[in-house]
Amino acid sequence: MSKVSNSFVPKHTVIEELNPMTKILAVFSLGLGTLIFPNSWLGLFVIVGLFGAAAAAKLFKEFVKIMFGFGIPITVMLIFIQGCYSPKNVTFIADLGFARLGLEGILYALKIISTLLVFLGTFYIMNKTTYTGKLVAALTNSGLPPKAGYLVLASLNVVPQMQRRMSIIQEAQSARGVETAGGMLARIKAYIPLLGPVVMSSLTDAQERGMTLETRGFGITGVKQTTYVEVKKSGLDKVLNILLILFFVVVLLITVLMKMNIL
Amino acid sequence: MSQKKKMSFAEGLKAQFSTKSLVLIPIAVGINLIGGTLCSALKLPLFLDMIGTIVIACLSGPWVSALCGLLTNVFLALVANPVYLPYSVVSILCGLVTGYMVRAGLFKKIWGTILIWLACTVTNTISASLITIFVYGGATGVTGSSVFTATLIAATRDIMMAVFSSSFLENLIDKGIAFFIAFIIVQKIPKRFLSQYASDATEEDDDED
Amino acid sequence: MGNIVLEVKDFSFKYRQTKRKALKNVSFQVEEGSFLCVIGANGSGKSTLCNALVGLIPHYFVGKMSGEIKVNGINVAESTIANLSSEIGLVFQNPFNQLSYTAGTVAEELAYGLGNRGVPREEMVEKVKYVAELMRIDHIIHKNPLELSGGQVQRVAFGSTFIMEPKILVLDECTTQLDPLGSEEIFDIVKKLNSKGITVIMVDHEMERVARCADQIMVLDAGEIIAIDEPKKIFGNPEIVKHHIGVPDYVKITQALREKGYTDCDIEVTEEPTIELVKEALGS
Repeated sequence: MSKVSNSFVPKHTVIEELNPMTKILAVFSLGLGTLIFPNSWLGLFVIVGLFGAAAAAKLFKEFVKIMFGFGIPITVMLIFIQGCYSPKNVTFIADLGFARLGLEGILYALKIISTLLVFLGTFYIMNKTTYTGKLVAALTNSGLPPKAGYLVLASLNVVPQMQRRMSIIQEAQSARGVETAGGMLARIKAYIPLLGPVVMSSLTDAQERGMTLETRGFGITGVKQTTYVEVKKSGLDKVLNILLILFFVVVLLITVLMKMNIL
Repeated sequence: MSQKKKMSFAEGLKAQFSTKSLVLIPIAVGINLIGGTLCSALKLPLFLDMIGTIVIACLSGPWVSALCGLLTNVFLALVANPVYLPYSVVSILCGLVTGYMVRAGLFKKIWGTILIWLACTVTNTISASLITIFVYGGATGVTGSSVFTATLIAATRDIMMAVFSSSFLENLIDKGIAFFIAFIIVQKIPKRFLSQYASDATEEDDDED
Repeated sequence: MGNIVLEVKDFSFKYRQTKRKALKNVSFQVEEGSFLCVIGANGSGKSTLCNALVGLIPHYFVGKMSGEIKVNGINVAESTIANLSSEIGLVFQNPFNQLSYTAGTVAEELAYGLGNRGVPREEMVEKVKYVAELMRIDHIIHKNPLELSGGQVQRVAFGSTFIMEPKILVLDECTTQLDPLGSEEIFDIVKKLNSKGITVIMVDHEMERVARCADQIMVLDAGEIIAIDEPKKIFGNPEIVKHHIGVPDYVKITQALREKGYTDCDIEVTEEPTIELVKEALGS
């Protein structure tokens, strides 16, 4: 969490050129499909597909890092928690001495992990291949209020600026010998002089920025806002949209049928 | 001359989302995030990622504060890790609880501030625990708090209680310090700046000469 | 006499929770195409006046207002800031507070106000190109505005205001935070726009520049208008001069020349005539 910046680097891949709404649809269609499906096989299948998509988006290395970086620890934790202590456990497959490993808990854990990884993976690919300005423009075109669009974009732009300002103050303070090391209490005491100036100056800046927005027609009602960023919808987008909707519908049907067979 | 108008909920909501209030939201999100960054820079075992939400609750009201909480999580999801996204419910609830209690005038008194602190801690603990249990099955990865939770589960054999109690302890300390710092910051904001945000439209103007 | 494009009638304003009125019974008129400079010490009400002209008072800042301001016949208090943006535009001091914070490139920043108006994209692209060339920022159009220098950002801010096509520009110390070169670049643009018929109302501290640019100068002190007149009459009147900080150096030079009997000229406020006087004095 220490470094927060969202620098989009264009790589001119097919996935990058897609309409942001197609990618959002992919997150929901694949994610929700995995969520409702009764077991974790579908999730596994989708995750393998996502690695392919990441490679196509020239993101393979980072993608592997984030998927395993998140996937391995959470798998260990959840199999321990749910496998050993889930109240659902009735079939025990191993005895670890301090607790018995239950099959139901493990299956439940795997289901959660696969769903989380599908959401994480699709979201990651969408996020890394989409310029935020284009994402917000696409959302605004689809009916997101311009004020909401402003908030997302402004947060992304303002926060790094505030962080730069704080690191300048931090350097100045430590150059003047303000204590940033030492005991716990000393460090908490050092917190306010570091945070305070940034907060105060940012608040007064905000008031002037509001003036700017007002004079640029922010919040005009009764007009459909337009954007400089161009959002296109290609033939590929249309095909993918149909496929993604079809995927969800088919998964839903299979799920319903499976549940009925079981019942 | 002064005339106190009771605003309807919708009118009040509209007043909360004026441009003047809206531009504060990204700043408050920034305060939340650099609060957290500063903690790791000073190696404090805390989050302190709610200071901006508290400050904006004092300036603009509960719903703006809730929105600020939501955006903080959206931001973290976009730049850091999507794991933060489900927890936006927690930030929204904390923003609302803080906002309404501040509006009731509790932040002006010491005992009131303590009351907000406790209410916020409880809200955070319950909602965050429910998300950890029902969305993530009990843990979000190997962090200090997840390991602590796992140890508690092993000791007590009760997932629900273990997640609750580890989260409660952590929150109590973290929110306490966050409210203390926010209290100091709000005291330091210039009167002239604050007056532009006073929610009720009472004119205390007494004409000079 | 040109058309009156701006009319301020008996205008007063007091910010909430302050003791003193920021503006007191201010009345004046501005003709189309003219260049009015506003001078006065800090806290004399210059910025408040600028904010009032573009409608930020009473639509953004809260306080107690009386009197009336009309921009091209539109009553500011009854209109909205957004509607007024096609009549009157404001550029102020801090360049980085005049960005929308929604744009990843200068082009997007310039287009932001047009987008809010719902201008079609093709028209937007054309206007962005025109304004970028006018402001001499066409070479940085694809850069992130947050990574530019103060002078460049101020030109972007200027462009973003001008793209809204106001007929009046209000400039509130818009070069104070820039280096001399950066501020001269801004001024060249302002003069060019003024010569194209744009009315300019400018707050500035540089008296040499004020004397050079202004048709009329307004002197404010503690929220009240002390005088509105031509530069020579303002700087030549000691009663007015004592209300604000200074006069152009040229005034002092001509006065010194007259005292020593080198010239019988009353007052010069700009560079060239003063140089002529000095040349004459040296020649004689």
